[in-house]
Amino acid sequence: MHLQCRIPLAHFELDIDVSFDARVTAIFGPSGAGKTTLLDAISGLREIAEGEIEFNGRTVFSSARGIHRPPQRRGIGYVPQEGALFPHLSVRKNILFGANRSDNVGASMGITVDHVLEILEINILLDRPVSGLSGGEAQRVALARAILSRPQLLLLDEPLAALDVALKERILPYLARVRDEFAIPMIYVTHNLTEVLTLADWVLMVQKGKLVAQGIPKVALRSVHAIKQLADEPFDNVFAATFVESDARSGRTRVRLPSGAELFIPYLPQPANRAFQIRVGADDILIATQRPEGISAGNVLPGTIRSIEPVDGEALITVATGDEFVVRLTSAAILRLGLTVNSPVFLIIKTRSFRAL
Amino acid sequence: MIEHGGRHHIVIFSLDTWQITLFSLAVGLASTLLILPFGIALAWLFARKEWPLKSVIETLVLLPLVMPPVSTGLILLKIFGRRSPLGQWLYQRGIEIVFNWKGVLIAMSVMSFPLLVRSVRTSFAEVSPRLEQIAATLGASPLKIFFAITLPLAYKGIVAGALLAFSRALGEFGATILLAGNIPGRTQTLSLAIFSFVQTGKDTEAYTLLGITVFLAFTFVWFSEWLLRAGRNT
Repeated sequence: MHLQCRIPLAHFELDIDVSFDARVTAIFGPSGAGKTTLLDAISGLREIAEGEIEFNGRTVFSSARGIHRPPQRRGIGYVPQEGALFPHLSVRKNILFGANRSDNVGASMGITVDHVLEILEINILLDRPVSGLSGGEAQRVALARAILSRPQLLLLDEPLAALDVALKERILPYLARVRDEFAIPMIYVTHNLTEVLTLADWVLMVQKGKLVAQGIPKVALRSVHAIKQLADEPFDNVFAATFVESDARSGRTRVRLPSGAELFIPYLPQPANRAFQIRVGADDILIATQRPEGISAGNVLPGTIRSIEPVDGEALITVATGDEFVVRLTSAAILRLGLTVNSPVFLIIKTRSFRAL
Repeated sequence: MIEHGGRHHIVIFSLDTWQITLFSLAVGLASTLLILPFGIALAWLFARKEWPLKSVIETLVLLPLVMPPVSTGLILLKIFGRRSPLGQWLYQRGIEIVFNWKGVLIAMSVMSFPLLVRSVRTSFAEVSPRLEQIAATLGASPLKIFFAITLPLAYKGIVAGALLAFSRALGEFGATILLAGNIPGRTQTLSLAIFSFVQTGKDTEAYTLLGITVFLAFTFVWFSEWLLRAGRNT
């Protein structure tokens, strides 16, 4: 996808010129950075002073060549922050609103109503009025509605921002399922790091209307730029994991990381899909310079420090154990332990610090 | 006085009373139906589009609301009278506006139009443009967006506006008397009849019609307020 646009805003100018090609691209930045404006521009809901938008080999906008496709004919689905369900229609009618569009700009991509209903678990909601839905349910319905219009590109504008933390944890897996089940490229706007690290395979960092960094989330978000932006945001380590075995009585489940290393995470019944994601916060990992004895934590991993990126009294430390973990420590702790690049260390992680998606 | 089931009734609903009431209701209804499509279209243009001279047109439409109705009536008389170009053109085609029911219809329409447009414009403005935008991304044409999203979400305001316009039409006096006159059996509406009855000392008839107008006005306003409240709750 190629995206170039210049839009004058009240306090700054949105000026982005970027090409990317990923299944899920996150646009990440603080509130008021121009992220929603960008989505509106891509979907054709907002005037672009100057620029060009091209994806899947189609140019939907070009100021130079005078191309300006209306939103109806862009084949771009949009899930806005507030869901924007049609309040006078039932859930069923909302979901099917764009399902029988005659022009069919989007290829069908094997998307069926039943499949979408199953993945997002909204069968039981179908005959409810929209006003009776909870925040999480409304977001699932909005998601289903956008998917069923069979878009070639799906834009999501902070779909979890309005939900409380517990609900976020419940809805995040639905988004992951949508990503894995339907072959629709997604652009996902958020200011939440966990969502970027869990869902996206490319991230564009936007600040005051400008692109400040881009890359694979794990790498790009460790940059100084990112850290400065995220002082108070929890940084999560997210890994693809394979289920090995579960034991309810000992309260833990063994999983294997891509490197082959095995970890204990809190007990979960054997999942239907043996491959899933786990994550642990960078603040929830201890570092020791010697192998610890007599501690309760279930996971002790030997590794080597790859990099230390200090900023404002803290630092993000990348430790290679076969996989890569990011740990956040205070500068005092680093000084006390004498940590430097290439120091051999042990990571200590409580079983219960892991979360499965 | 007549005997009826052992109780005494005074016959106050004379044939004339009925004729006047039905005539007012019929022409009032016709005027509301006549202005409804134009009012909806114009209100939508006011609420959703920017165009040159928009504020001038908006002011012109609202003018009858603040101008003395008699002045509006005089303007209408000048426009539709037989000596005006339009009046002549109509007359040559066998259509006369002045001093018959068509004059009543025009006067009611012009006088109630601003109320309709204002109410409908507000209810269109209350429909979130975001919903219309999302409908567009789902492939809906502007026409489908209007009929499937905007209109259904604004319909309570539209009905309330139509009721207000209808009530205003029934109360019309000044513009009507100039354009259509006050001819019993031909152009006499409730308001005009009350005026005539009071002038000629027929108090009973006047008070009967007064009762009818109060009843009708109360019903319509109450219903339209109720609709607006219900509209805001959803």
